Amino acid sequence: MSAGLLYLLLLKATLISFSGLSSMPIVRDELVVQYGVLSDSQLNAAVALARAAPGPFGGYVISVGYFVGGVAGGIAGWLALITPALLAIPLTHFVARSTGHPRARSMLGAVVVASAALILVATVPIAMQALGSTALIVIAVASTLVLAATGLETVWVVAAAAATGLLAAWFGATL
Amino acid sequence: MRGKLSIAGLARVFLRNGTFTFGGGDATTAALQRELVANHGWLSEHEFGACYTVSRVTPGTNLLAFCTAVGWTLLGFRGAMSALLLASIPGAAVLIVMTAFYGAATRNPWLMSAIHAALAAAVGIMLAAVWTLLRGPLRRRPARTVVVAAPALVLSLYGLLSPLEVLALAAGFGLLAPERDAA
Repeated sequence: MSAGLLYLLLLKATLISFSGLSSMPIVRDELVVQYGVLSDSQLNAAVALARAAPGPFGGYVISVGYFVGGVAGGIAGWLALITPALLAIPLTHFVARSTGHPRARSMLGAVVVASAALILVATVPIAMQALGSTALIVIAVASTLVLAATGLETVWVVAAAAATGLLAAWFGATL
Repeated sequence: MRGKLSIAGLARVFLRNGTFTFGGGDATTAALQRELVANHGWLSEHEFGACYTVSRVTPGTNLLAFCTAVGWTLLGFRGAMSALLLASIPGAAVLIVMTAFYGAATRNPWLMSAIHAALAAAVGIMLAAVWTLLRGPLRRRPARTVVVAAPALVLSLYGLLSPLEVLALAAGFGLLAPERDAA
């Protein structure tokens, strides 16, 4: 399969989905069922890899692209991932023009509060998956407290956590 | 008050968070909220709300739409493109390398231990973002904040409404019951 066709097929999937993994049924239908260029185990591996890598879970299309077409396929997957985001430009332009109005500011104030609730809900499945031991719970609690109480940049907290994981592995206690 | 903003500074923020934040789009959004709103003051709470809403109604990956919206809000087209590319390229490169060495990567206890710890930190990043987002509204308008947050939490947690519907409901509340000091 050419990288161009792979891009179009993955773009079709990302364009008609509204969150990370919701494009998966379309990707499976196109690449596993119709074209037969990807196996189910490769698709599962792509999802697992995206969960273990930095960035959005929707990045699994990059791994899918790599499995199908090597580095060129991976780049096709990345392009399919970022292309729909360009639609945010006209939408933001439209929304930004309204934010000066008092009622629009009131709406956005309520949206900010609701977005906090949504982030809290999104934390639940990640916490259930990620906090499988006491040590990992301690890391999560310590990260929360440090970030809430200080202005420390998140990258240092992630680096400290990863260093703790390496130290644990050094002492033979994989987290 | 908005802190000093430059394309290089904005690029550094997206590059850093795109490269080092594990736990998916919500964790990265939370990390960016912390840097852009709380630490640098480049983005106001209302602008964050606008970008977050745009990211939810844009097809595709919410995080990348959020980055594009933030970049556009702060520095126009070059800001949008810088944010989109720098938030996505490092993670994509890491993912391609990990895919190429899939078997070896998942069998390496050192790598997996570090990734598991970074994922635990992502939980902390998200919880801290919730706190920084709610801290101001809770101080200024506690009753109103609870009236919006509690139903949003319950409706989303139990899957009664999609995130987009929750945001629409909150926006409707803000429209029908305007804040006294929203002007």
